[in-house]
Amino acid sequence: MSVLHIAEVTKTFSAGAKAVDSFSLDVADGELVCLLGPSGSGKSTLLRMVGGFEQPTSGSITIDGEDVTHLPPERRPTGMVFQSHALWTHMNVFKNLAFGLKLRRMPAAEIRDKVEAVLDLVGLAGYGDRMTTQLSGGQQQRVALARSLVLEPKILLLDEPFASLDQHLRERLREEVRDIQQRLGITTLFVTHGQDEALSMADRIVVMANGKTEQIDRPDVVYRDPKTPFVAGFIGSMNLIDGEVRNGYFMRSDLTVQLQVPDGPATLAIRPESLDVTASDTPKASVHRVTDYGSHGLVDLDLADGTRLKSMVAHPDLFRAGQGVDVFPRAIAAYRDNQQIYRS
Amino acid sequence: MSEATKQAVRPLVDTAESRRPIGLLFVAIPVFLVIWLVIWPAINAISRTVWRKDKSGEMGFDLSSYAFFFSDSYSLDNLSITLWTTLVCAILLLMICLPIALYLRFSRGRLAAYVQALAIFPMFVPSIILAFAFIRVLGPNGMVDILFNAVDLPKIRTPYLTPWGPVIGLVWDNIPLTVLILLAGLGSVANQSIEAARDVGANAVQVFWHIILPRISNSILVALSFSVLGIFSSFTLPYLLGPASPEMLGPFMQRTLREVQDPVGAMTQAVIAFGFCIVFGLFYVRSVARSREK
Repeated sequence: MSVLHIAEVTKTFSAGAKAVDSFSLDVADGELVCLLGPSGSGKSTLLRMVGGFEQPTSGSITIDGEDVTHLPPERRPTGMVFQSHALWTHMNVFKNLAFGLKLRRMPAAEIRDKVEAVLDLVGLAGYGDRMTTQLSGGQQQRVALARSLVLEPKILLLDEPFASLDQHLRERLREEVRDIQQRLGITTLFVTHGQDEALSMADRIVVMANGKTEQIDRPDVVYRDPKTPFVAGFIGSMNLIDGEVRNGYFMRSDLTVQLQVPDGPATLAIRPESLDVTASDTPKASVHRVTDYGSHGLVDLDLADGTRLKSMVAHPDLFRAGQGVDVFPRAIAAYRDNQQIYRS
Repeated sequence: MSEATKQAVRPLVDTAESRRPIGLLFVAIPVFLVIWLVIWPAINAISRTVWRKDKSGEMGFDLSSYAFFFSDSYSLDNLSITLWTTLVCAILLLMICLPIALYLRFSRGRLAAYVQALAIFPMFVPSIILAFAFIRVLGPNGMVDILFNAVDLPKIRTPYLTPWGPVIGLVWDNIPLTVLILLAGLGSVANQSIEAARDVGANAVQVFWHIILPRISNSILVALSFSVLGIFSSFTLPYLLGPASPEMLGPFMQRTLREVQDPVGAMTQAVIAFGFCIVFGLFYVRSVARSREK
């Protein structure tokens, strides 16, 4: 049972900027939680504070009830996989994995057994004698993961581990890492700025912006029901339209959508797949560009005032640039003062 | 292929046969200078010490000057003090410069900048001024003596004109180069490598021993090779600060040539010093070759 509890953690750097601001999170035993946000959102700083590489300015971090807030990294029950792999190039694969075990004065035979078992787990059986510089990027990342796993940490910390890999390898590795994590049931905190990674791997996603939590939810909830306009804009593709609500109708240019909220400014959020378009003699928008992705198409539309919208269509060949179209939002959300005020 | 296309595909580094003479010309100047000013005098000195006239005036192979050097206790004492000074300086330089370089590599802020400026400062001080400052501070009736006297403490045993005089001067003189080379080596040790070591449970000493030291061993060898080469053949500081007897090879050579007026003896000493320097130089060449292999 390994539970991570982060309570009101704040990190202020010397210049006075808050990298992390009153952040709280509970990660359950065996859960994989993704910290997702743009660069500078504080997600890596938070992960480094859990790993002990940064000290929080205030707040506390506990693992299985033990306060580790002020413990150095070498005394924490955590294992970190770094973005750049951080393998020791003067050691071979076996020595990279055995180093931590040797520091714990484990018998040589036990070290060999453990290292071979973990190499087998990450699909690198027989690679112990190779120098790390002789490995591909994906193999190096597996070694980095194995180096953390061999010490059986209570909490596994992954700091954008696939950022330096190509798309194909990234997709394969994230499946493998998720499988290993579930097989071992290890509590994991994963930092990424790739929403695909977060959506495909996480049990829960923490969306961060400017050091604060924007939303903590299951991946499907974060996608379908973003609680703030930032989350709506950051996760997936989204049409965010600023406009005015009057007498139960949201209005922007020729676009009018029924919205049962009090009058005032609002931001309307519509996913491209929730925005239907049809050819019309009384068009509300004109087609700017049609992109055919094979499985589907994306139509870029311009409202009369120049506002650009995107619509996902099944048959992109039905549309052409300059064509007048009518738009029909199916599922919408609306935001005011950074809060969700409506969802259909 | 059109003219424009030909230009477009021209590689960044042009290895065309027609351009090779220009490259060779650039290389030729330093190579010629090295041959003229280093290799030729070395060959000349070696040949003049082993191929010379005997008492009957006939030219022949003669190793008597070397036999004299290695049987003369004064010459051997001078060689010993030179080797001792070089060894002690190398150890002290490593002990002083490695912590400074480590501090500069892993520290940020204004204090680190001041420490770096102080560590590099000796590079801009000529040896003769350093020697004068040494005498004024640590010499008999120098500043330290005056200060001690002011608080009724006994006089210090000055290192001036003892084997420790050149050691102090040479260490101070070689700190900048050693720190800079070590710092360059430490620059190749990524922060995340160190963090990864701490993450698996290594403390500061274990990180230094298992992670940092193996990564900078070549830089240490290069730094020591440079320092040792300079110290072994140094002249100014041993001449001004060192004892008259035994003396380091630099002043010994000068005195043998000028005062004893024994050019063959001086050349023999130079060839022997050159031989030792070649051994040290091989360490440097080996380090560079190893780092290139990596």
